[in-house]
Amino acid sequence: MTDPLPADPPRLPLAEGVPAGWHRLHPLTPVVRAGSRLFALVVVLAGIALANQRQDGSEIVTDLVIIALALSGGFVSWLVTRWQVADGVLRIDTGLIRRDSRRFPLSQIQAIDVAQSGLARILGLAELQLRIAGGDASRGGRLAWLRMADAERLRTELLAYSTVARAVQAVPAGGGGPADALPVPAAPDPTAAASGTGATPADATAAPERQLFRVRSGLLAVAIALSRPGAIAFAVVAAVTAFVAVSGKTAATATFLPAAIGIAATVWRWFNGEYGTTVTAAPDGLRLRSGLIQTTAETIRPGRVQAIRLVEPLAWRPFGWCRLEVDVAGPRIRRESRAETGRLRALIPVGSKAEVVQILAAVLTSQPAPDKPPPRRVRFKAPLQYHFLAFGSDDNYVVTAHGRVTRTTTWIPLEKVQSVRWVQGPVQRCLGLSSVRLDVAGRRVTGAIEDRVDAEARDLLMRLPDLARAARARVG
Amino acid sequence: MSAERDDGLSWQRPSPKLLRCRRIQIVLVAAPVALITGLACASVSAVAGALSAVGVLIAGLVAERFLARRVAAWGFAERNEDLMVRRGVMIRRLSVIPYGRMQYIDITAGPLERSLGLATLRMHTAAAASDARIPGLDQAVAAKLRDQLAALGEAQAAGL
Repeated sequence: MTDPLPADPPRLPLAEGVPAGWHRLHPLTPVVRAGSRLFALVVVLAGIALANQRQDGSEIVTDLVIIALALSGGFVSWLVTRWQVADGVLRIDTGLIRRDSRRFPLSQIQAIDVAQSGLARILGLAELQLRIAGGDASRGGRLAWLRMADAERLRTELLAYSTVARAVQAVPAGGGGPADALPVPAAPDPTAAASGTGATPADATAAPERQLFRVRSGLLAVAIALSRPGAIAFAVVAAVTAFVAVSGKTAATATFLPAAIGIAATVWRWFNGEYGTTVTAAPDGLRLRSGLIQTTAETIRPGRVQAIRLVEPLAWRPFGWCRLEVDVAGPRIRRESRAETGRLRALIPVGSKAEVVQILAAVLTSQPAPDKPPPRRVRFKAPLQYHFLAFGSDDNYVVTAHGRVTRTTTWIPLEKVQSVRWVQGPVQRCLGLSSVRLDVAGRRVTGAIEDRVDAEARDLLMRLPDLARAARARVG
Repeated sequence: MSAERDDGLSWQRPSPKLLRCRRIQIVLVAAPVALITGLACASVSAVAGALSAVGVLIAGLVAERFLARRVAAWGFAERNEDLMVRRGVMIRRLSVIPYGRMQYIDITAGPLERSLGLATLRMHTAAAASDARIPGLDQAVAAKLRDQLAALGEAQAAGL
């Protein structure tokens, strides 16, 4: 389909393993890529065929043609997709009509995750997800799909290369001296550098990982049943049962079917995504693995954490359970992530206070407690929230607590604060109150210091930007 | 305004033409709405039509009073390391955006703004929530401010 481009001779191949030149993805890629969509298509078409009850041949032919089209599209896309690693850049070319060539400088790679969907797992394939600094969703890259062993090897090598590339870049910045004083030659040879320091990343992956947490499956199932989607599911089931029992019309349950499917899918996605969540401490950060059918593995580097959130739903509190979530800069390239915008990546899907304290100690350098409640008059403004509202801070973090039935505690690292806002609504003005909000990258988390005395809030607004600047300077 | 007493900040305001711009916008909305409701209600009776049209026009006048206050509430102040933007009458807001956190700055101008020589300056950080914009700047002022902020942002740029 595409002639091999006159690929410039890759002068800087990786140390070993990744051969120079262009590579195709695994030939089964179209099958995996079409997998879930194909399944949905078959279900829809079968549903339509059943609903129409006209089983003449022509419709089945049309259905088959649609399925064949869906598959061939994937096949063409596989044919025209190629990738190569050269000159410290991972390049992925794709597109038949509109060529799309994306370059990912290896020095900018923040993390590489290996993910598998159910079908890919059966076929022994995996995809590499690149996280690039910058936090813009369109800037992440995917290499899907590769053989599992290849993916693991490529990941290790790309990470090793990225460490080296960063080190090479950092030397002139850190040295600050004249160019001749630099230990690296003017045109550093990453091949040599990669083989020279190759031991470090290899050690990093081979070093024993200390397991910090593993979710108990039974507990996760019970906890989901006690959460909001679980409660809704029970309510729907109860309503349908009651309706059928009263009216005796079983056919009427069909009306509830779409809603039931939707809820079941939500609950299932949650369980599937967070089943077997394991947190281990690795030299380069926290390793997070989870998934029942699709598995994902990602590494959370300490400096990448934008916010930590502790969620305690009403029904979980009697048992002392809670959920610890982390917001990391950079896109999460998961197709279902749009459906679950309300939730972040769970470090602890459900766990005890002791487990939370342990993980918090691994993620945060200090743990200020939300110990400053708002003035009593806030009861008039936020009667349902008053009992949870609080905030606390130290030199590194601001922590806020809020929520009506679900208590949410958010830790925001001050060096990650993007902007500070002060807000005062009409009711707050009458009561002499105002709020301060801290924005961090992304659109999911805001640190809201709600309903403080006006003078205190203004003082915070003036002080927090300076504190954030100081924290940034400390981090470097 | 209470923000004014904040120590030694010199608040700058949008161009006075912003109010004219907003007034024209009100007329552009209120007049057709008045006409349409008037005609629609005139099918019931002529008096109803006239009354409803007048009602809409009065609503437009009231909105104009509110808008005048809202326009007056806009202001921005350049500090050493950050920009402060204040806005709002009912819900008052005051944002602090460090120069180093600005990812990019753009200037937009709709047809009406363009005809009056105005532009809106928007500052984008990595956070979607930090909505910082200054409407109704003179185009020359906006361009100058943009260059100035971009230079400051580059000088103080910080990673994520």
